[in-house]
Amino acid sequence: MTTSAKTFFVLPLLIIALFTLLNAEQLNIDVKEHVLDNGMKILVVENHDAPVFSTIVRVKVGAVDERPGQTGLSHFLEHMMFKGTKIFGTTDYEAEENLMAQIDSIGELLMDEWRKLQDPMNYPPDSTRYKELRDQIAKIQESQKEHIVKDELWETYLKHGGTMLNASTGDDGTQYYVSLPSNRLELWMLMESDRFKNMVFREFYSERDVVYEERRMRTDNSAWGKLYEQFSATAFTSSAYQHPVVGWASDIESWDHELLKEYFENYYTPNNTVAVIAGDVNPEEVFSLAEKYFGDWERGPEPPRQTTFEPEQKGERRVTVEFDANPMLLIGYHIPAAGHPDMAALDALSDILSRGRTSRLNKSIVEEQKIASSVSANSSFSRYPSLFTFSGTPLKGHTTQELEDAIYAEIEKVKAEPVTTWELQKVKNQFDAAMIKSVNSNMGMCWRLANYEAMVGDWSYINEYWQAYKNVTTEDIMRVANQYLKESNRTVATLVKPDEAGDESEGALSEKESSSY
Amino acid sequence: MRLRYLITAVFVLALNAGLMAQDTGTEGAEMIEELEFPKITWDIPELGEEVIVDTLENGIVLFMMEDHRLPVFNISGIVRTGSMYEPEGLEGVASMTGYVMRTGGTETYEPDSLNALLEYLAASIETWIYNEQGGLSLNCLSKDVDRLLPVLADVVMNPEFRQDKIDLEKDKIKENIIRRNDNPSRIASREFDHLVYGDHYYGRILEWETVEAVTRQDMIDFHGKYFVPNNIWLGITGDFDMADIKAKLNEVFAGWQPSEIDFPEDPEVEKEYKPGVYLIDKELSQSVINFGHLGITQYNPDRYAIAVMNYILGGGSFTSRMTSVVRSDMGLAYSVGSRFETDTRDLGQFYAYCQTKTETTYKAIYNMLDQIKKIRESEVTDYELNSAKDSYINRFVFNFTDPAAIVRQLMNLEYDGMPRDFYKNYIANIQAVTKDDVLRVAKEYLHPDKMSYIIVGNTSEIADQLKEFGEVTFIELQEPIVDADM
Repeated sequence: MTTSAKTFFVLPLLIIALFTLLNAEQLNIDVKEHVLDNGMKILVVENHDAPVFSTIVRVKVGAVDERPGQTGLSHFLEHMMFKGTKIFGTTDYEAEENLMAQIDSIGELLMDEWRKLQDPMNYPPDSTRYKELRDQIAKIQESQKEHIVKDELWETYLKHGGTMLNASTGDDGTQYYVSLPSNRLELWMLMESDRFKNMVFREFYSERDVVYEERRMRTDNSAWGKLYEQFSATAFTSSAYQHPVVGWASDIESWDHELLKEYFENYYTPNNTVAVIAGDVNPEEVFSLAEKYFGDWERGPEPPRQTTFEPEQKGERRVTVEFDANPMLLIGYHIPAAGHPDMAALDALSDILSRGRTSRLNKSIVEEQKIASSVSANSSFSRYPSLFTFSGTPLKGHTTQELEDAIYAEIEKVKAEPVTTWELQKVKNQFDAAMIKSVNSNMGMCWRLANYEAMVGDWSYINEYWQAYKNVTTEDIMRVANQYLKESNRTVATLVKPDEAGDESEGALSEKESSSY
Repeated sequence: MRLRYLITAVFVLALNAGLMAQDTGTEGAEMIEELEFPKITWDIPELGEEVIVDTLENGIVLFMMEDHRLPVFNISGIVRTGSMYEPEGLEGVASMTGYVMRTGGTETYEPDSLNALLEYLAASIETWIYNEQGGLSLNCLSKDVDRLLPVLADVVMNPEFRQDKIDLEKDKIKENIIRRNDNPSRIASREFDHLVYGDHYYGRILEWETVEAVTRQDMIDFHGKYFVPNNIWLGITGDFDMADIKAKLNEVFAGWQPSEIDFPEDPEVEKEYKPGVYLIDKELSQSVINFGHLGITQYNPDRYAIAVMNYILGGGSFTSRMTSVVRSDMGLAYSVGSRFETDTRDLGQFYAYCQTKTETTYKAIYNMLDQIKKIRESEVTDYELNSAKDSYINRFVFNFTDPAAIVRQLMNLEYDGMPRDFYKNYIANIQAVTKDDVLRVAKEYLHPDKMSYIIVGNTSEIADQLKEFGEVTFIELQEPIVDADM
């Protein structure tokens, strides 16, 4: 690639090669890595084009780590991480500590009452005491308020020029991100390390209500959200991917302080966390500041991991969801986890099926048969075995059944005959171009690296995976199509109007991700 | 159209703590006080300086910025057209023309072969027409520029508007109309826009009747009128050489003749408030609330004070008063805040938004409205003012991190007739905002008694409570009419 030096818009001029050029054809993403004694990993990608940098702190915990009764906790914890610490968000932590201890002890009684109310063997239910306790908590919270400085972390980032400030929780990970002007590196280190070391869970109950409203917005009152939730619950019978990231409604109501604290202690440890910084920074400076600020964060035990996995599916499963909206369709086939050697072939297959106007599903189902306004395929890239999905919305006058049949017909074609070398080379060219362009976005680069770290434990898999994608053959694609895309391995979910017996479908399937703070 | 740019002195802006709001008194804030923020400087790009302007033989204007970091090449162009110029009865023709001129192929390129060529090279050529602007783009690896420039020119000059692609696009629009009542947030924002703007294109609801009426000839005419060289600007960024690209563009667009355009009048937004509570009944457990009224245009000099005011009121996310009270204190909503548009050509909107369970709808609105009233009654604090200003000032640098975005911003200033020194003066304009200004613009531009409320949800249950905010009217959602012979 050309590196003719032209300064056009940034004064501190330095052109740094973002890629290591291995040979004319092969590029590699250049990442500097440092591991603190406590196990926290720091990754840096230099990009001195503009005086800014982006960061992601990714904690390797997500909805998939939750057990029954805990669902939604990863996401709730992400919300609570903005509630201040012992030194931010408070004018008098000692006074607060006292009040919060009172809230906690009443909270225990409150949750006991709540559990009684849920227990069918405790008849008749009486909620008087429950309401009394909630009022008591509200009162103490009111007096705590005089010591609270609201959302100080958020505000501090914003007034120092922070953009893209947020956090999100998915099945496999929780990430905290922000972009800042390059002279704010130390500020970021201070703020970010502090919240991991000194977190205080303020305003527990009102934030729990906020999360419940988030659930109503994303799931209960959304056709797509409802369909996706039921689809996952059907496709997975034992894998923890069966429950929603935001949590089941009844779990949200039952979370208590102890549960959250324990979860935090189990997973929010330096040895379970990676930080990625991309932009106008010096790696050595990043590493020494990381030592200074994150170095005294205490290492924890290895976090508990799931040991319950999905058995092989033996027969198709179907689920219908009633909702006042036009029909939608969602189909999923079980496939392996991110590190499996078949993933690149499955990825290429999904690209050939649904990436771009020349893709098979678009040409056949949207343009020629005119059955759907959109239809897409996606091969998920997950920590544990997940799904290869198809989603689509039939055009008026067509049913989800017709759309389903049309998708199956396309699947049969890729099983019976190899895709063309032209199709395969096309998606490889697109993969290469996307990798080349990816260095243009600091935040995009952070996401990619953090993702690989969290899925397979090593960012350098990005280069391995790129190579694996280049090596995919048309035979590989035919083989994985036959191996995974079969009826007995399939789950089908359809959305129907409550008053209609028929069925039908929307939108590209996004990651089960969601839930920003 | 002839543009001339003088080279002006490079303006270097220092980004430092600047005003830095005095701290909150917390231990953490004191630690931050002790940090040092070394000054960083960068150029605010200007036309004639970092971005070079030139004109092709047939009048196409080029805005160019070389950027050799990556072997990629981008053209992003502007065409003066839009739904604003649609003839009555042909609503929808603009966006359809913008879309099908690409998907329908050219005389030389069948749609399939055009798609295949581009996708194999991991490239894209797209065209579009929005409300007040049309556009075109080419994105590709720099090795493919010579091959794709003639293709871009062909798409722009000689679209074929093949009937099957027109039908495909119409089917898509029709399906979109059929599904328009499926999503409560979409219903709320559409109905709110319509309430505020009526049939002006800012708030018009597209109906199948007019979409169906649009013919291939209408699209050919619409394209032919506006896609002429003297009406096109091309923003060019990436790994290229300016002299070289100019020569190549002269070649591929050779023979394309300028022609005078008789621009129709751009309909103005009628400045009229429509206060009242408009309820849409749908079986939902959560209400989607939008309320507000007409605001300002981007040419209004109060835009800086208004931006600061709204940041404090409901725009600065968690930092803002509305979010702090309704979300953080009361736990009533995940999504709550306010927006005051300051970048529209005609009158934009002020609106507050919230999603809360049916039972707390009244309480949420009451408290949001209360914050609107309060910011009109007394001055904001120094802390709030400085925090808002710091945020705008310190994040300003992010506008200039990507050459393609830089060129687009400068082109848009020209297109919209905004002052060329807009970016150069931006920080000073924000810095100049005082507490007095914030109070003044809150009084002048926020009208709690003239709010239009749209609420989607289980509203028949709560209509009585909501009377307090204005006269209640129920809006019946019509089943969209999409059948030709109905």
